[in-house]
Amino acid sequence: MSSLTTTSPAKVKAQGVKRSDFLPYLGGKLAAALVSFLVTLVIGFVIFSLMPADPVRTLTRGRPTSEAQLVQIRVQLGLDDPIWERFLTFVGNTLKGELGYSWQFQQSVSSLVADRIGPTLLLMGTAAALSIALGLWLGIRSGWRHGSLFDRIASSTSLALWSVPTFWLGMILLVAFSVGVGPIPSLLPAGGMSDPSLPQEGWAHVVDVAKHLVLPCLTMVLVVFAQYVTVMRTSIIDEMGSPYLLTARAKGLTDDAVRRRHAVPNALLPSVTMIFMHLGILVSGAITVESVYSWPGLGYLTYEALRIPDLPLLQGTFIVFSASVIIMNLLADVVYRFLDPRVRAQ
Amino acid sequence: MGTGNSRRGLAALAVCALSLSPVAGAAAFAAPAAASAASAPQETTLRVKMSGSGVDTLNPFLAFFDGAYDIFAGIYPTLNSLDEYGKPGPYLAESWTQSEDKLTWTFTLRDGLKWSDGTPITADDAAWTLNLIMTDAVAGTANGSLVSNFESVSAPDPTTLVVTTKEPQANVTYVSIPRSGIPIVPKHIWESRAKDLKDVKNDTFPIVGHGPWTLTDYKPEQYAKFDANKDFILGKPGFDHMIQQSFKSVDAAVAALRSGQLDYINGVNATQFTALQADKSLLTVQEVGNGWTGLEINHNARTRTGKKIGTGHPALGDPVLRHAIALATDRKTLVDKVINGLGVVGSGYLPPAWPQWSWKPAAGEETPFDLAQANKVLDDAGYTKGADGVRVDPKSGKPLELRLGIHSDDAIDAGISNYLKGWLETVGIKLEIQTLSMSALNSDLAKGDWDLLMDGWTTGPDPTFLLGIQTCAALPKDDGTAGNTDSFFCDKAYDELFTKQLTTFDQDERAKLVGEMQSILYKADVNQMHFYANTLDVARTDTVTGLITGKPDAQGMYPAQSYSFWGYLKATPATAKTAATSAKEEGGGSLVWIGGAVLLLALVGGVIVLKRRSGADDRE
Repeated sequence: MSSLTTTSPAKVKAQGVKRSDFLPYLGGKLAAALVSFLVTLVIGFVIFSLMPADPVRTLTRGRPTSEAQLVQIRVQLGLDDPIWERFLTFVGNTLKGELGYSWQFQQSVSSLVADRIGPTLLLMGTAAALSIALGLWLGIRSGWRHGSLFDRIASSTSLALWSVPTFWLGMILLVAFSVGVGPIPSLLPAGGMSDPSLPQEGWAHVVDVAKHLVLPCLTMVLVVFAQYVTVMRTSIIDEMGSPYLLTARAKGLTDDAVRRRHAVPNALLPSVTMIFMHLGILVSGAITVESVYSWPGLGYLTYEALRIPDLPLLQGTFIVFSASVIIMNLLADVVYRFLDPRVRAQ
Repeated sequence: MGTGNSRRGLAALAVCALSLSPVAGAAAFAAPAAASAASAPQETTLRVKMSGSGVDTLNPFLAFFDGAYDIFAGIYPTLNSLDEYGKPGPYLAESWTQSEDKLTWTFTLRDGLKWSDGTPITADDAAWTLNLIMTDAVAGTANGSLVSNFESVSAPDPTTLVVTTKEPQANVTYVSIPRSGIPIVPKHIWESRAKDLKDVKNDTFPIVGHGPWTLTDYKPEQYAKFDANKDFILGKPGFDHMIQQSFKSVDAAVAALRSGQLDYINGVNATQFTALQADKSLLTVQEVGNGWTGLEINHNARTRTGKKIGTGHPALGDPVLRHAIALATDRKTLVDKVINGLGVVGSGYLPPAWPQWSWKPAAGEETPFDLAQANKVLDDAGYTKGADGVRVDPKSGKPLELRLGIHSDDAIDAGISNYLKGWLETVGIKLEIQTLSMSALNSDLAKGDWDLLMDGWTTGPDPTFLLGIQTCAALPKDDGTAGNTDSFFCDKAYDELFTKQLTTFDQDERAKLVGEMQSILYKADVNQMHFYANTLDVARTDTVTGLITGKPDAQGMYPAQSYSFWGYLKATPATAKTAATSAKEEGGGSLVWIGGAVLLLALVGGVIVLKRRSGADDRE
């Protein structure tokens, strides 16, 4: 007992070393993240600038535009400026926190992103939370009893849904639950984020948005949760032969306790990586689901930017998406250090 | 040991159920909410799909997208309106006259009209709007070309507007018309905004304007809400409110129409239209097409000074080859197979929606579908077939292997290209289909880096712009800048007719000149019109009536609709659904939701009870 409560000088020293190790570790990761971000900036600019496109003609396609107008618009958009000048402006603006000015929507990219990030996070966040919860729960159960009827049903169903094209699944759900099929009446709205005829604030609005969220969220969950099932199931199966589980059982722990307290924590690491990767791409939205259900998110905004192409908007959303992935990877690295002693040992 | 289940597992299930419960609960409560909103006030709302292009900005000086102009047509006035056949009529202006030299137009504006904030509408508002576009580069961003021939615009008194043009201009009454023309804005609101026009979002609601509607709310990518203007001079809207809702997929909009979320969709595709024709609760209407779909041919791209540019196949400069391509194109089959017969076989450059400009080749002058003849003319011109069956250009020695650019997001292009490939290979021309984005196609087009291109244009009632892109002035400069040509067409006789029609005030005479221009284009085989697809509309018969104006022709096709102006203005609610029917329908949905919620709770509860029983041994 005393050995547990009395801390030896050697142990204190060891902990001190660990703490002092963390800051250089974090510093290294931060520096790497910064470098990644800067490289991403350059890549983003180069790729989008080299795209074969004529944004002015595409933008003005719907209006009778004279040659003088086309010239004026090119000047306004800065398309006649040398590419190095455009690059310096882009980098300078980005470092100042400005994302530029959208050519097609004629407003700042940051205001466009701000308008759409809420709906995006609502849809993607809800779908991610449900997918992770459902996927991990099914994965743990399937892995622990692999080969059982439950495992076979859960695995095959999730993999089948994973293989379904998102757009197609969305349309099927739309027809089934919005139009109604056979005895099923029309239950849910066909698209949008709210019913414009209802008040756009208060509890009624919350309820209305939730109603509009059901189908896009369900589509996302059905397509995404399988990856968590697969990874978690495999991890659990990998852990099942481990001697420490045998020891735990020998100590008289119930099967349930062995799984919860010993197998799952060790099997969670790959899923943690996946969760952070998933969180990193949350803000990029889901173009197909947003298109099918007319959800006003960032994914569709990016698609709209690509059609012209609206370079400032494309570059702005690219920066936001890249930053999100880099930050989440950084967080994953940090969290891993706490979750996995082997990372600390390195 | 035997129970692999755990309370944590159950907790996870419960979390999932709870996560869903607000959603399910929300859904359960939503139907009554909607029902109460619908039943309490007796006000009526017209719900339509917003234009597919969406709204780029609500600033009428900067907007390019159709969705924005649909909104402007409802909330800002114009000098002229259009009748159902596209002829200018009165709106703000009740009459207009021209001077003898045809350079001065005098519009007499209605007296007593007011903006939505009560300020009188005067000629000064119109003069200020037009002058700003003429003199300020930013203000002229979207509509500068429409006033490029204007010398001056003035308002000598509140009801008189005088427009002086540099050269006689026959289409002045088309300059400010709903949707395709310049909207007139209130000077007292916009004068202070003119300095920083580029940054004006125009999103203070309700927007001050004057039209059949007042815009009361707008959420980008979601909806625009309007209140009817009961004092509108051209008639009171039949509905109290209007909502234009954004749908990014027409399939989803069709689902919304069928489920009663929408009343009207303008512009479904042929497959959807055919499927919806069977639904008795829907009115399906075909409008005469206001656009063409066709093939552009790059016949030796060059600049204004004649300098060759691009990588187009040199043989396409030969009219014989271009005619052979026309002979090998079965337009009737394209109409029947690609758009389910819902269109008109193409010939003239201007679509049939505006009958005053429509032109067809005289009997005997049409290019028939004749593969044997196509083969013969190519044989006669020395295009011999190689061992692989592909003909060779006798002048350049290059095989007739042509690139066909099609739009990646256009199913019609894909359909046509498959037919073309087959027909042209039959006559010894090999096609390589290149699927590109519109922007990439536009980029290639401007540089002349293409051979054949699928293209399409729509036009309003004034054909000047569309005819203009076929003039020599539309060719690019030597440095590759400027120009907005489509096919590098340049013909002196065509250009002379173009200038002449612009200054011809007699509409019949002008139509004759426009016809001659189309004849030149037809014979050149540079722009080969495949078809004019009908515009396809669908409306719910139980909620709306009167949307479609005009009378159908012998084939059942209605005139082109100015739906965002006349259609929405003249639409009226259909015989209202009885309260009992509505309650029954809405109650049915609620019952299903309540049943579903009870079932879910029972399921979760049952699972928990079962698990607790089965886990009892373990706990004990």
